[in-house]
Amino acid sequence: MFTELNSILNTSPDSFTQGEFILVSDRQSDASFLIHHFLSFYLRARCKVCFLGLAQSFCHYGAVSQRLGVSLTQAKEKGQLVFFEGLKECLSVLLPKENNVESGAMNFLRDPPVGLRSLYEFVRSSMIGSGSMEEGAEQWGPNVLLVDDLSVLLSLGVDVGAVLDFSHYCRALVCSQMQGNMVMLVRCNKEEDDDDDGDEGSEVLLKGLTHQCNLNLHVQGLPTGYCKDIHGQMEVCWKRRQGDAPHMQKNLFQYKVHDKGASFFARGTSSAVL
Amino acid sequence: MLSELLQGIESGGFLIIRDSCSYSGRDLLKSFITAALNREEVIHVLCFDVSEEELKDGLKPSDTQRFHIHNAYSDPLGWTGHPNFTAQQFSLEDLTNLVKQTSQPKPAVLVIDSLSWILRHKTPPAVCQTLQQLRKGGAVRAVIGLLHTDMHQRGTVGSVCHLATSLISVAPGVKGKEAVARVTKRSKSGKVMQDEEIFCIAEDFTVTILSKASHAEHKTNSTEEEQADPTANLTFNLRLSDSELEAKQKLTLPFVFSKEKKTALLYPGPGSGRILYEPDANDDYDQEDPDDDLDV
Repeated sequence: MFTELNSILNTSPDSFTQGEFILVSDRQSDASFLIHHFLSFYLRARCKVCFLGLAQSFCHYGAVSQRLGVSLTQAKEKGQLVFFEGLKECLSVLLPKENNVESGAMNFLRDPPVGLRSLYEFVRSSMIGSGSMEEGAEQWGPNVLLVDDLSVLLSLGVDVGAVLDFSHYCRALVCSQMQGNMVMLVRCNKEEDDDDDGDEGSEVLLKGLTHQCNLNLHVQGLPTGYCKDIHGQMEVCWKRRQGDAPHMQKNLFQYKVHDKGASFFARGTSSAVL
Repeated sequence: MLSELLQGIESGGFLIIRDSCSYSGRDLLKSFITAALNREEVIHVLCFDVSEEELKDGLKPSDTQRFHIHNAYSDPLGWTGHPNFTAQQFSLEDLTNLVKQTSQPKPAVLVIDSLSWILRHKTPPAVCQTLQQLRKGGAVRAVIGLLHTDMHQRGTVGSVCHLATSLISVAPGVKGKEAVARVTKRSKSGKVMQDEEIFCIAEDFTVTILSKASHAEHKTNSTEEEQADPTANLTFNLRLSDSELEAKQKLTLPFVFSKEKKTALLYPGPGSGRILYEPDANDDYDQEDPDDDLDV
């Protein structure tokens, strides 16, 4: 959990807006450090978290979360965290073994046109399934869905429309129906002005998700080039603030990722410069 | 022109609000809904993009009898098995049935939020056909749609916008709350009018037109700063007095030639330096005939 990011977004584990869809996007950069932040943030806020980890293994997330002060193994044992390890599930679909029980969520690997309906059913069952709790089980807070990351689905052969439908259904379930939060990471590898047909899918996906989201954290490299002390810039864009006057607010920050966190500062105020 | 459109869309009209990631057109759509409700019209909203609560947020429909929201947000593809309205149901018959369900005396205005959702699941020709049939059908009086231009190819956007009688493209303005609207209106006689306006939307979704944007907006407001005087604040004097200034201006520079001086130098007249030469016998030395006795 990055305390500076909490103050920028005006949230804390004790009080955060519910029913929000936070889109974390990056362009030719790596915004996965923000996913680690949100994972530890919501675990600290005692929310019931469903994490679709499609890009890395459970051990990776566990190791990083350890540095941020949260234990994923413990959370999983207590029932607070439902972790979907995409890498393992892929293998079980492609190399079926007898004693392996498939969850069926990655059915689209066998048949991409089918879409992500089974993955959505998995998310739905893990969220609604918490309704039937045994005695003595702890009461958790609102449901949270974290996805890392959606662009992996594109490279696995899923259509952009199917991914947008999946995120729409997840938003309808998590944000509107259950008043929980949703954080999704989407990555783009090309320059914004390039008119190449090669990566059109991820551009359309990014635009579609930007229309759907409430808050967009867009991470990019510095426009002036590589710098040792500043790792990049992050644009925070609030949309659709309920209750406020209808307008959009954008803020630009620069960041540096450390061993145990990340620091954010206004442009030009890095400690290396001042 | 934006305010004229807000005051009413003619019968059989089709208005498209085009927006992009940088500025959402949903607030303008809500302004149109508010204006139509204030005019005592019946509104049916097909809600795909956002939930019913989010759409109703900020709107104060005084008479809910005339304002109907059809929830196509929670299950637009039928995944849960009990869909209210799916994207596949976007056809003339289903929409007519939907609108006629409420049995109002006057034909309604149909608001679609958003057309982009439907275009992702139905082919553009089918959507265009349905929209055209709706306009001519009589079940709805007018159609207002929201379209996200950056989610489709330009051809698709162009085809759908070609059907529209009025188009409003919104973009973010220079200052925080302002936005720029480019309005195109096609009248029945075939005349096309275009206009560009800056507007802002208040909390109760009333639209205030601020000014007409013109290309002169680009004029720089830079007030010329006083050029810093380099000869001020020095320990030595760099300025010239009046007599010195005169003498300086009278001075002719050595290699700046006036026309007279040029011709005098190039064509020497009498009186200038002349060279007088008398041939001397010693100068007449021929290398090939040193004794000067060859009969050549």
